[in-house]
Amino acid sequence: MRVVAVWCPDWPAVAAATAADLPATTPVAVVAANRVVACTAPARAAGVRRGSRRREAQGRCPELHVTQDDPDRDAYLFEPVVAAIDAAAPGVEVLRPGLVVLAARGVVRWFGSEEVAAERLVDEVASVGVECQVGIADELSAAVLAARRAALVPRGMSREFLAQLPISELSVEPALASADRAELVDLLRRLGIRTIGAFAELSPADVMSRFGADATLAHRCARGLPERPPSARPVPPDLAVDHRCDPPVDRVDTAAFVGRALAEQLHVRLAAVGAACTRLLVRARTGNGEESVRTWRVAEPLTPEGTADRVRWQLDGWLTGRSADRPTSGITSVLLEPVEVVTAGALQPGLWGDVGAGDDRARRALVRVQGLLGGDAVRVGALDGGRGPLERIVFVPVGEKPLPGRDPDAPWPGRLPPPAPPMVFHVPPPVALDDDVGDAVIVTERGLLSGRPTWLRWGSRRWSVSGWAGPWPVDEYWWDPDTTRTVARLQVLLDGARALLIVGGTDGWRVEGVYD
Amino acid sequence: MGEVAGLPGDGADRTRTEQIESLRRRMSAVSSGVGTSASDPVRIPAERLLPVPGPLAALLPHGGLVRGTVVSLSGATSLLSGLLASVTATGGHAAVVGHRRLGLLAAAEMGARLPRLAVIADPGPDPIEVAAVLLDGMDMVVLDLEGIVVPPSRARVVAARVRNKGAVLVVTGGRWDGAHVGLEARVDGYRGLTGAGRERLCGTRLSVRAHGRAFAPRTVHVDVCVERDSVTWVPDTRPHNGVPDLEVVR
Repeated sequence: MRVVAVWCPDWPAVAAATAADLPATTPVAVVAANRVVACTAPARAAGVRRGSRRREAQGRCPELHVTQDDPDRDAYLFEPVVAAIDAAAPGVEVLRPGLVVLAARGVVRWFGSEEVAAERLVDEVASVGVECQVGIADELSAAVLAARRAALVPRGMSREFLAQLPISELSVEPALASADRAELVDLLRRLGIRTIGAFAELSPADVMSRFGADATLAHRCARGLPERPPSARPVPPDLAVDHRCDPPVDRVDTAAFVGRALAEQLHVRLAAVGAACTRLLVRARTGNGEESVRTWRVAEPLTPEGTADRVRWQLDGWLTGRSADRPTSGITSVLLEPVEVVTAGALQPGLWGDVGAGDDRARRALVRVQGLLGGDAVRVGALDGGRGPLERIVFVPVGEKPLPGRDPDAPWPGRLPPPAPPMVFHVPPPVALDDDVGDAVIVTERGLLSGRPTWLRWGSRRWSVSGWAGPWPVDEYWWDPDTTRTVARLQVLLDGARALLIVGGTDGWRVEGVYD
Repeated sequence: MGEVAGLPGDGADRTRTEQIESLRRRMSAVSSGVGTSASDPVRIPAERLLPVPGPLAALLPHGGLVRGTVVSLSGATSLLSGLLASVTATGGHAAVVGHRRLGLLAAAEMGARLPRLAVIADPGPDPIEVAAVLLDGMDMVVLDLEGIVVPPSRARVVAARVRNKGAVLVVTGGRWDGAHVGLEARVDGYRGLTGAGRERLCGTRLSVRAHGRAFAPRTVHVDVCVERDSVTWVPDTRPHNGVPDLEVVR
């Protein structure tokens, strides 16, 4: 799904300048805990950097206007920008104040091409006096990084676009990365991984088992995959919470209070079903029928405080009337509805690969069958390391996290070359393999056959062996006396008509598969 | 109308069975004429087709499995693996109900994307119900009947659901009244395994026969052979020992 990201550079600093009525040429820096968190372009030109101390910044640029960090100010000043974008292209989702995304399909079709759509969005935002950059790419994370470079990434080129960027780009956007992403990036850099492309080349199983859940997300982003795959669970019903305000709310602080109470209610409900919300729809209505609807998307599941903040930001921006459609009466109802939930504390990497309507439909059908038969009944296979056709497929119930298994690409001495038998026996039936004088054929310790296979008996029937190949001896787990297993596999052709894969051990031969 | 009306007159001395026979001949001539004169009488857009392995496209009137139809499958399992591989490799979703002996590794080697292939090995007492639910979201549902007899009334209901949802239902291991296309695969032989301890197996030769309500039965010979680390379907160019391509139905 193509995504458009609209990014207003240095938003906290721009918002601070707007709030203080300073012209755009004034150097402005926003500090939190005595460190600069954002600065405007003139300040940057004078040598102020993110992360530097306040005193150091003032030393480099004496005329610097310094203000404290204030997320509320950022949020309500951003509301007119969202409203302007929303007027041109509906379906806007706010990642954080200063960054919004929207699905590209509608807006590109309406304006004719991606270039025109991007230009129009820039114009719309400029009409409220704010600068912005637009990026379009196949995935959300790629689009956000493209917006930082004002790039339109062609279809299917996300991975190539990301590959040349430095690895630090993965942690630069707080709306996409968790708080400890910077540590991961630092670790990767010290391991010699300098670009996103180099990171993408690591195997997903290795990344998952060594660096943890957040790295898996970063890795999906690096590979140009959707960062947050659809969770295997649909949104449970009756999660939305609704509040009727009587008397109507027309003051920001009362609205914030309502938002806080609603957020607590929502999180009690979410906790009861073991879910966490990653995309939230907030809708407020007034007595005169005006409506404000915003979708908020977050990188990490929302906390009650985060939910309350977003409700307050939205209502604050709406009620204080910096956007054009200021309500004409008090708010009478507020609704919070989770649009996307994930299992609390769990991660769902790529069981269903890329996102799409078809995937969603398929997942729903499978979940319904799971409801009929139980969760374990519906499974998907995954390639695993091993030698025989049975070991090389591992089954995982749909919706469960596939465990990082044995590496299928590692060399497995004794592994059968393709083709694999299309029919396999999970409980291999025993057969007898005899040589030309009627003695049982066994595999010697040196991995050779004791005789020439001539007859194969399966149940009460007997076939002559017209051709055979192998054996492929396997000596597995020799270090563990409980699981050690010495077997050999053999392909045999019966009467020139049917080929079997048989496996022989200390308990005789068994049929593992039929080439059929 | 004139032809049928004229028949009793010109065949007053013929028996009833002869008349029926001649009528059947005419009908088959008409239907096969429609099937072969224009190769694609009703053009079906590509998005209404599910892909099949390359050499089988020539076998089916539209070059693929038409969405909303029921296909009955019999014979070699390789054919099922090949269909699942081509559907999932092109982004479709498939589910297999029953078939606990299906080897997914073989399908993966043919190019199947396993995350898009759900397996319900033990569908409980009513596999048809499970398949009907799956038709909702899947592009292809494979149902192993395991010999149970499906009453025609139930088959009609499920077929209507298949048509409605635009999926393809593949039935194996039993008889399904009203299947649109029947595919039958037979193992003709193998590449490799030519003697004692010589040449490992590196390919399977299949002959696949398709028959259906709207076209004359056809047969193709394919070679499912190993190419590097994957398995591909290629037309079998080896001469065949006189297996007739066309067989008389009934």
